[in-house]
Amino acid sequence: MNRRRLLQTIAATPALLPAQQINPSPDESAVLQAASTDAAGQPVRRFFTPAQFATLGALADRIAPSLSGRPGAKEAEVASFLDFLLANSPRSRQALYQRGLDSLDRAARTKHQKGFAELAGADADALMAPLKTKWTYAMPADPQAAFLRAAKADIIRATTNSRAIAEANAAGRRRATGLNPYWHVID
Amino acid sequence: MAQFDHDVVIIGSGASGGMAAYVLAQAGVKCLMLEAGPMVDFTRHRSMKAVYDLPYRGFGEPGRFPHITQASEFDANLWIDEKKNPYTHPENDPYYWVRIRLVGGKTLRWGRASWRLSDYEFKCKDHDGWGENWPITLADLAPYYDRVEPLIRVSGRNEGWAQMPDGKLLADESTDSLSIQRFNASAKKLGVPTTKPRRATGTLASSVNLLLPVAQATGNLTIVPNAIVRELGVDPKTGLVNAVHYVDRRSKREYTVPAKVLLLGASTLESTRLLLNSKSRQYPAGLANSSGVLGRYLFDQFYVKNTVTALVPEARGGKGPRNLMGGAGYVPRFTNLKPGKPEKNYLRGWAWDFGSGGTPSPELFPQWGTELAQTMADVQGAGFGMTTMGESLPRFEHRISIHPTLKDEWGTPAPHIEQRYTENEHNMAKDAMESGVALCEGAGFEVLAAHAQMVPPGESIHELGTCRMGADPKKSVLNGFNQAHDVRNLFVLDGSAFPSGGVQNPTLTIMALTMRASEYLMEQKKQGKL
Repeated sequence: MNRRRLLQTIAATPALLPAQQINPSPDESAVLQAASTDAAGQPVRRFFTPAQFATLGALADRIAPSLSGRPGAKEAEVASFLDFLLANSPRSRQALYQRGLDSLDRAARTKHQKGFAELAGADADALMAPLKTKWTYAMPADPQAAFLRAAKADIIRATTNSRAIAEANAAGRRRATGLNPYWHVID
Repeated sequence: MAQFDHDVVIIGSGASGGMAAYVLAQAGVKCLMLEAGPMVDFTRHRSMKAVYDLPYRGFGEPGRFPHITQASEFDANLWIDEKKNPYTHPENDPYYWVRIRLVGGKTLRWGRASWRLSDYEFKCKDHDGWGENWPITLADLAPYYDRVEPLIRVSGRNEGWAQMPDGKLLADESTDSLSIQRFNASAKKLGVPTTKPRRATGTLASSVNLLLPVAQATGNLTIVPNAIVRELGVDPKTGLVNAVHYVDRRSKREYTVPAKVLLLGASTLESTRLLLNSKSRQYPAGLANSSGVLGRYLFDQFYVKNTVTALVPEARGGKGPRNLMGGAGYVPRFTNLKPGKPEKNYLRGWAWDFGSGGTPSPELFPQWGTELAQTMADVQGAGFGMTTMGESLPRFEHRISIHPTLKDEWGTPAPHIEQRYTENEHNMAKDAMESGVALCEGAGFEVLAAHAQMVPPGESIHELGTCRMGADPKKSVLNGFNQAHDVRNLFVLDGSAFPSGGVQNPTLTIMALTMRASEYLMEQKKQGKL
């Protein structure tokens, strides 16, 4: 269990009360506190191969690194989340990621004789050069550029919407972030 | 079995159904309202959640909404289930049909922009020779606009422009930010008019809080949620509507209720689908379709979202005076206003929404990592954006028809929808992009991105036509009071009645037309004609 999960679990544990303060009559409206599934266990990788997963983790870290103590993609466990998201995504999206990650890793091994996940920052950045293409509304024709553009957007969004970022925002600004009205099933 | 004592049956509870109930119930008319969806309870059905606590971190369940791009993971349960409610479109011409089936309909989520149509729309054929005039003019509808605008509390600024008629508005006298002032000055130099947004105000401006409670307080409105209307019955002797057949959404049990007068406001495509599905000996091609145009002339307003995204250079890094950024505005149609041959390579025109103070998407910057983070910090709140809303032309071949085999979860034949944007819309979108760039550059803004890619037809949720009104019963389904030429006790109140739509968001006009039609209906009843 990492430090963040440990803190979440502790926070979810009700404090013990002295015996004389315990209400002897059962309270049928009691609201119990609970921890999220995220807090209890490690997510199981379902979609990417170990090599693809490592490449995605490294790519995510290049795109959204931790800066000045603010969590990045690694702290937001973005690769793990995207593994879950892609496992449930349409086949075309899955293929875009699989081909893109494989291509990135293959290019690293051809040029540097090691995987993308093992590259130094500058070498990794050089392989991400298609991201320097000026934005156009249409997706790039080059499949690798299209993958990198999609991955960049997903990585930034998954990082921004993470619990890690929300907790950092709450600690820094003393206010909650990412809260919105949620509509339950209406029947 | 319980029977309601009602004078009229209203199908749908949104802008048109809600307004019909509002007018008729207050006048003492007993209304039975059938709504396909359930009732919304804002206390029970809505709560605050953090995005990280959602299963998909705000991305939404992949594949759940192939056509509803507006759905977020927060509000996914408000939108229709596309699997239970299927439809088709030509393989290469996608149509995005965006629906809400709840009491209140799409007024639960509408954008609230509330502009009057002008005689450029009502008399469009007289102006440029294309399409058909409406059977009414602005003068006919203005008294109803005058009453609807205060009811939904529209704010804005009257300008005295013919293409954007003045209204009964809550005066928006707020001072524009410096960036908006600069944009307005740039527009003025190029002869382009600008004004304040015109929107219904309040925390909720919906049928469920402004119309239905008033109607129900009279004791004259009975709302029946979860009643999915499948077909309308016709009296073989008179040819009038005499029954409504509906299915309970949850049990799928079938019911029939008698109808003396029917007001149809199920939304543009649902209303026409229902009429096309209501075939009888008298109306073998669909109810009220002796003209053969029922289902035809489908159109909407095309959108080019974020046509131009720019930066206000002085706002970078959080610098600049406090009143530099923020606020919004609107540019009404300003092209082809002179009668006769158009000055552009297209007919009609477009409008823009523009806003100051947002943060451009990180996608627009060819960077990542530390460099991107620094850029995003630098441009936070320094953005300026424009979205284009353009008029699309109603064409005979653009239509809704009934699929020969496909049915929805409740056994009702599903629609097939055909609409595509033509050269006229593409030329207009390109001109809007180029003009938008010129205006931003004239204001000294740094243009980050510009494009002319329209969203697919339907996505603007301004679908209109298919049951149009007109003076000639051979070329239209309804008369100028939304009453079917063929079936005098049938009124179709929603956007399907529009012969053309301009660039103005249609809800205000739907409500004004419904108010007018409802009062006409009461007059007809008094005269014994219904």
